[in-house]
Amino acid sequence: MIFHDIVIVGGGLTGLMAAVEAPPGTDVALISKIYPTRSHSGAAQGGFNAAMAEDDSVENHVFDTVKGSDYLGDQDAIETLCSEGPEVIRKLEQMGVPWSRTPEGRPAQRSLGGASFPRACYSADISGHAVLHTLYERALAAGVRIYPEWHLVELLLEEGRLAGLLVYDLATGRLEVVRCRVALLATGGYGRIFRKTTNGHANTGDGTAIAYRAGAVLSDMEFVQFHPTTLYGTNILISEAARGDGGYLRNAAGERFMARYAPQKMELAPRDVVSRSIFQEIKDGRGLGEGYINLDLTHLGADKIHRLLPQVNELAHLYAAVDSSQTPIPIEPAQHYSMGGIRVNRDCETSIPGLLAAGETANVSVHGANRLGGNSLLETVVFGRRAGRRMLEMVKRPMPPRPRVSLERALSNWQANFGVGAPRQSDDSVFAIREDMGRIMTDKVGVFRTGVELKQAMEELAVLRSRYAALRVPAGEHSFNQQLIDHMELGFMLELSEMTAGAAWRRTESRGAHFRIDYPRRNDPDWLHHTLIRRGDDGRPIYEAGTVAFTRFQPQERGY
Amino acid sequence: MQLRLIIERFDPQTNDAAYRQTFTVDWERHETVLDVLLKARRQDPALAFRRSCRSGICGSCAMQIGNISRLACQTLVRDVTGDGGELEIKPLPGFRQLKDLVVDLEPFFAALKRVLPWVITGPHHDGLISPEVSARIETPATCILCGVCDAAIPQNGPVTSAALVKNVRLAVDPRDALGSERMKSAGLTGEGLQTFRELLANICPKGIKLPPVVQE
Ligand SMILES: Cc1cc2nc3c(=O)[nH]c(=O)nc-3n(C[C@H](O)[C@H](O)[C@H](O)COP(=O)(O)OP(=O)(O)OC[C@H]3O[C@@H](n4cnc5c(N)ncnc54)[C@H](O)[C@@H]3O)c2cc1C
Ligand code: SF4
Ligand code: FES
Repeated sequence: MIFHDIVIVGGGLTGLMAAVEAPPGTDVALISKIYPTRSHSGAAQGGFNAAMAEDDSVENHVFDTVKGSDYLGDQDAIETLCSEGPEVIRKLEQMGVPWSRTPEGRPAQRSLGGASFPRACYSADISGHAVLHTLYERALAAGVRIYPEWHLVELLLEEGRLAGLLVYDLATGRLEVVRCRVALLATGGYGRIFRKTTNGHANTGDGTAIAYRAGAVLSDMEFVQFHPTTLYGTNILISEAARGDGGYLRNAAGERFMARYAPQKMELAPRDVVSRSIFQEIKDGRGLGEGYINLDLTHLGADKIHRLLPQVNELAHLYAAVDSSQTPIPIEPAQHYSMGGIRVNRDCETSIPGLLAAGETANVSVHGANRLGGNSLLETVVFGRRAGRRMLEMVKRPMPPRPRVSLERALSNWQANFGVGAPRQSDDSVFAIREDMGRIMTDKVGVFRTGVELKQAMEELAVLRSRYAALRVPAGEHSFNQQLIDHMELGFMLELSEMTAGAAWRRTESRGAHFRIDYPRRNDPDWLHHTLIRRGDDGRPIYEAGTVAFTRFQPQERGY
Repeated sequence: MQLRLIIERFDPQTNDAAYRQTFTVDWERHETVLDVLLKARRQDPALAFRRSCRSGICGSCAMQIGNISRLACQTLVRDVTGDGGELEIKPLPGFRQLKDLVVDLEPFFAALKRVLPWVITGPHHDGLISPEVSARIETPATCILCGVCDAAIPQNGPVTSAALVKNVRLAVDPRDALGSERMKSAGLTGEGLQTFRELLANICPKGIKLPPVVQE
């Protein structure tokens, strides 16, 4: 048994930002299933929104975010996000972030979709990477105790509050119990439930599923963002910066088709709008090849591309064999961001006392039905910092009881993973089930949804769940037992898939990223509320309505 | 098309020494070495290797591919084998093999930590940095800590290769209180640094070309 005052699970931007908030000498441990610098935050290219410029304002940022969210975002949380943004960016500047600069030497800012002002602070197109490494360095400086390649398996609750964590050390193949006064989940999104996704292999939603199993309330799981421009085939992200810096979308006829769908914002309309427009073009027979669209940067010239979009250029070259200064890049939309997650308040507290959550794993909710580019990186650092601060207040509380009943239960759950030898049904496998899940999610719970298909998806996912229940992995303390990890991750993902499909089926309207062909209009009288999900006694999800916080802006028609 | 992947395997629980195992996998022209490794793992779910981003930005998948240390996700099979045939994959040299292609990274990160790899913000910094200076910082700041340079350019001095890159990144940062003082600890002559710069530009998966740095 290990003991720490504060335990942070997740070494991405959120977890690291929370960790560096603690003053030296605080007992902070950071558990991460991959080395922190490998976290998917590092793949973010575009930038961090903050109203820094004199002619921009926090109020504008708030309004853009509320409108982008299709009025489902909680306006009090959005105000917190936008008003703390500039201060956090300056703090990151002091910590050593290599921002790209204006001629005057200030952090430069660029346009991203849905914004009325160029307000994303960036480092070329490695913005996430640059900040992730800076925060990792600060965590080393602060003496944060890092446990790399340790996997959270289960949360241990005693007397209704968090008392500890059951954790698996991949290198030794052993379980550990970690006791703590307070813990933060900063475990990122669950994009890997979709076959076509920009997300890395580690984004399997562990923390979200584990919190749900422990009784935490989740919310807005039906809202999944599909990014319009991912490389055709591999779905590697081509940053929105490519459009922010002047790229065009063209159909087979070479036409800038966004004129048809968002005449004012054109390519820089929000992602849900652009993704639907692309699919509509393809559906109407104006796509290229077997179903893609061109992202044209050729008019920008090699010089500008190399200066502002080096990574975009490199990715297109390597994975699509295209020189982006000469030839358009073939792209298709793919899953990109999980708006839903663990329901938290502005102090990042979940419904479980002693447990906080922040970043992509949480739903606070600043993104509502659709996230704007540049807002989730900002969310990681603003709410990561808030979580860190809140935990410092909470460590003064008495130590929770030692996990006993909860530990026994967790250990018996753990044992259920194992069987003698290979999987019991030798013709089935984690890989096969996972492939089916990804296909169902992308085909039936994607950009365009219908009640009929969503119902089918729910039934098919239930079948996958029973197939999964028959699988076992070999027992034993193996180091780097990737087989066991694959097995656990699939269990988390199946749970989240069912809730995503279930919440999408239930919501009979279209709002933000959730588009129902059979209910194509937004319906405020019936649906202007969050979807709250908790686990029933029978283990099945129970769906309820939760109120949306309004401060300044009443719902309007959302035109771009 | 078919490819014969020869992978160096080792499981401390059952093996006394590493051995080579051949997997035969189907392969298409746009695929990376990581793609074919993932296929090999479907044949043997116990095959261990690290991966995360699959787009060359997280540094997880460094290994020795056909005798060159590089990133699996950034290496196209056709670039290393031509029309296929055979491909040999081993763990990153110079690192201790823990299991299959997974190596011990603790010494790597410990070596990094020894150079105090963070900006020690000086009192006079006003928050302004010119675009030219920031471009000089950006290049070494693209380092993804993959370990390829430590494997390919072993350093004799106290500072390992990736840590040296971090040193340069910090030495050119006007915010840093130590600044060019940092280069002293590396114990490199100007010539030594120039040689390192050239070697690195050739082997670093991010193609890092170190900026000039003042050396006392
Ligand atoms: C390709 C790409 C580009 C993006 N670009 C932008 C952008 O330009 N602007 C923007 O605002 N947003 C962008 N986003 C979104 C943004 O990057 C993410 O939402 C954000 O980085 C998530 O950060 P996080 O700290 O919440 O999680 P992550 O960075 O995903 O970190 C999750 C951490 O949790 C750990 N973890 C997970 N499960 C476990 C477990 N069971 N046990 C222990 N540890 C665990 C992992 O090891 C990891 O360290 C992008 C996303 C992608 C995929
Ligand atoms: S300098 Fe290059 S080779 Fe060395 S660790 Fe960094 S990215 Fe890898
Ligand atoms: S998987 Fe991230 S660098 Fe290869």
